[in-house]
Amino acid sequence: MQVSKPDPVDVVVVGVGASGGTAAKVLSEAGLKVVGLERGPFMNHREQFSGDELKYLNRGYIAPNHDLNPRTYRNSADEEAELYPFSPCPQLVGGGTIHWAGWFPRPLPCDFQMRSLHGDVEGASLADWPIGYDDLEPYFTKVEWEFGCSGLEGANKFEAPRSQGFPTPPLAPTAFAVRFYDACARMGLNAFPLPMALVTEPHKGRDTHNHTGFWNQYGDPTTMKSTTLTSFVPEALATGNFELRPDCYVREVTLGPDGKANGVIYVDGDGNEVHQEAGVVILCQGAIETARLLLLSQSDRFPEGLANSSGLVGRNATFHEFVFSVGLFDKETEPLYGYSGAFVSGATFEFYETDESRGHIGGGVVAASQTAQPINWMLPGRPAWGSALKDADRDYFNHAMVLGLCLQDLPQHDNRVDLDPTVRDAWGLPVARITHKPHANDLAMSRWQVEKNAEILREAGATATLPVNLERCTGNTCHQHGTARMGTDPSQSVVDAWCAAHDVDNLYVLDGSVFPTSTGVNPTLTIMANAWRCSEHIADVHARGGDQTLAATGGSNHGL
Amino acid sequence: MACRSHWEVVPEARLDLDSDEPTFFDRHEWETIEAATARIIPTDHDPGAREAKVVRFIDRYLSSVDHVYASADGAGFLRLDGIMADAWAGHLDRMRQVYRDGVRTLDELAGDHHGQPFAALSDEQQDAVLERLSGADRPVPITSALAGGHAYGASLQSDLGLDFFPALCLHTRQGFYGDPVYGGNHEQVGWQVIGFPGPPSLAATQTCTYSVYHLLVADRDWADLVPHVREQALAKDPA
Ligand SMILES: Cc1cc2nc3c(=O)[nH]c(=O)nc-3n(C[C@H](O)[C@H](O)[C@H](O)COP(=O)(O)OP(=O)(O)OC[C@H]3O[C@@H](n4cnc5c(N)ncnc54)[C@H](O)[C@@H]3O)c2cc1C
Repeated sequence: MQVSKPDPVDVVVVGVGASGGTAAKVLSEAGLKVVGLERGPFMNHREQFSGDELKYLNRGYIAPNHDLNPRTYRNSADEEAELYPFSPCPQLVGGGTIHWAGWFPRPLPCDFQMRSLHGDVEGASLADWPIGYDDLEPYFTKVEWEFGCSGLEGANKFEAPRSQGFPTPPLAPTAFAVRFYDACARMGLNAFPLPMALVTEPHKGRDTHNHTGFWNQYGDPTTMKSTTLTSFVPEALATGNFELRPDCYVREVTLGPDGKANGVIYVDGDGNEVHQEAGVVILCQGAIETARLLLLSQSDRFPEGLANSSGLVGRNATFHEFVFSVGLFDKETEPLYGYSGAFVSGATFEFYETDESRGHIGGGVVAASQTAQPINWMLPGRPAWGSALKDADRDYFNHAMVLGLCLQDLPQHDNRVDLDPTVRDAWGLPVARITHKPHANDLAMSRWQVEKNAEILREAGATATLPVNLERCTGNTCHQHGTARMGTDPSQSVVDAWCAAHDVDNLYVLDGSVFPTSTGVNPTLTIMANAWRCSEHIADVHARGGDQTLAATGGSNHGL
Repeated sequence: MACRSHWEVVPEARLDLDSDEPTFFDRHEWETIEAATARIIPTDHDPGAREAKVVRFIDRYLSSVDHVYASADGAGFLRLDGIMADAWAGHLDRMRQVYRDGVRTLDELAGDHHGQPFAALSDEQQDAVLERLSGADRPVPITSALAGGHAYGASLQSDLGLDFFPALCLHTRQGFYGDPVYGGNHEQVGWQVIGFPGPPSLAATQTCTYSVYHLLVADRDWADLVPHVREQALAKDPA
């Protein structure tokens, strides 16, 4: 087949979701010529999105189609992997920000120092981050204000220092959140309105009137929800320096004779192969697909996959299972309206930092959330059929609430993403195979926290609670991290503190792949802040004519 | 590529969505599936799957790839093409076989144990057949089965790879509670049964003229909900 070759550009960004949209904005605003390649479509939010539960939640309208883009999963290396739609993050311009809930908390300083704090934990591969909270603080602020969010300054007793408050105030609490706040107050726990990637006032001219409750897993037809589709992508396009190419599936990163990355090969929507050359290649596909692309990009120099001299590409994968308790409340009491609001309402950081008396290390954000819409509302153990089913829906649909935890799973060397030896996608490429077995600490954290959440729910008035514990990881949060960890030692990490590959210095990874540990919060604010930080660095390097070392010495002075 | 930003929309009028004529099932299959859905969500003092026209929902779904995704405003359905249409066509082919075989199994079990086709049996007999089919007793009320923790699967509840009975249960829920544009939840009876104040139309969720904002609690102060806010304010300004 004839491979076409458009003009080379300064930067090619692979994947235009949360991190890719951020890189596109920062780099194009700095004057670099950027091409963004996204394998999904470029949708118009106003025309294409609405509150259709069946379409989004059951028929996967914007999720990867399992026949075309399958994945496989197994618990451990001695098992045969099975087809399983593990961590089905949406594929379209905007990526996971299109239908996320938008939990937007900052991590805590302890998240960057898990190894220093806990030393060697058997079976785990803990590592400190080469950067710390202070390195990211200015970028948290930039993302919070430019991307837009809501929150209440000073409400979270455990939050690390912030240089600015929130651009917009929180949404009024839901009825179920009020139960949670009051229960926490009685128990002496600090609950606060979780920062959310949505705006409640017309920040940057945005339209804030999506109060349909169709929020998590739905595209938003307004611009109330913060998505890169409706913010950073149009801002990048407005510079005239950014060219967005949707429906373009990248299948290889190419290397020049000098050992540097010189571009990528992709298949466009009409099936044509294109070689886009670029001075810098940035991978922003999410930690599963980024690892897969590196492993697919084999050459004489990198027979085990690009930038993989450490053998760590794909390893130390963490996925943050969402575990929770559901509280059932008496149907004679005030309804909780579990489909109202913007999915999450109140949260607490009380169980975030390590307290070894709990029997596990680490922890994470706990939050009260919607049970959501009628077809799929969260009632674990729902009777399958008959009057028991009908009664359960009728009695509890308006009288249940979820109290969940974003489970900080420990990294393990053998938990990994690699190429499936037999299953291929619709383009003939080996698919990602996920191998993940929970660590004993993950299981202990789940048990302890799910029971603690049940206790809070009982205090809130629940007459019964349904626990949902971690048994095996299902990828139900679509949080993906660790598969190209950052660090200073090239034998112990894949990328450096600027997220440039140790082996190929003009190849960057700016998504969650670079997280050495998974943190106790939803990852996207941290992913975007880090992508912004590194993109500024890339622009700096470019301005100095591409001399990496020069720029690196002028970089971060914290924890490096 | 796979999913497109703009699919052609087949207007609802051309699909004749109000019709109760089977488009995939034959009469017997229709009656059998209708009877089975009516045991999954039975009619009591409230409407059940029969009144919600769940069988029509399932029949439409199985009929063609033109009923997979409603357009955002519900004025029609997206006409999938290319590999996306092929993928759905393959999936629906498998599902159709699951249903054809499923109806046969229901009738066989009904014939073997009660001497008549499934649709002709009493409610009690039909339940007995479903117990055999599912290999378990009929479910007990949720409050008497609270013990165990249940793994909650992937965030997408798809029918991928499901056998007949679990597929039928899932599709019955979908037809009872999904937007009426898909042929079930007739006159929103499913929503009324559980007290979901759903939107009048998909269009109302697209323009966001539909709102549940009034269900939020607007009359409580943050300082009252979050004592820490008040404590901080007091620490700063004790007066
Ligand atoms: C239902 C749901 C709710 C969520 N809620 C939250 C939340 O509340 N808070 C939070 O912090 N996070 C949440 N997440 C997770 C969040 O979506 C991700 O953390 C975030 O999107 C990751 O950003 P990213 O840039 O790494 O990848 P993405 O945003 O997933 O973007 C990657 C993009 O790369 C494209 N791509 C992949 N491979 C290729 C290729 N070979 N060629 C071209 N393009 C490619 C994909 O199509 C995709 O658009 C949620 C996710 C889901 C699914």
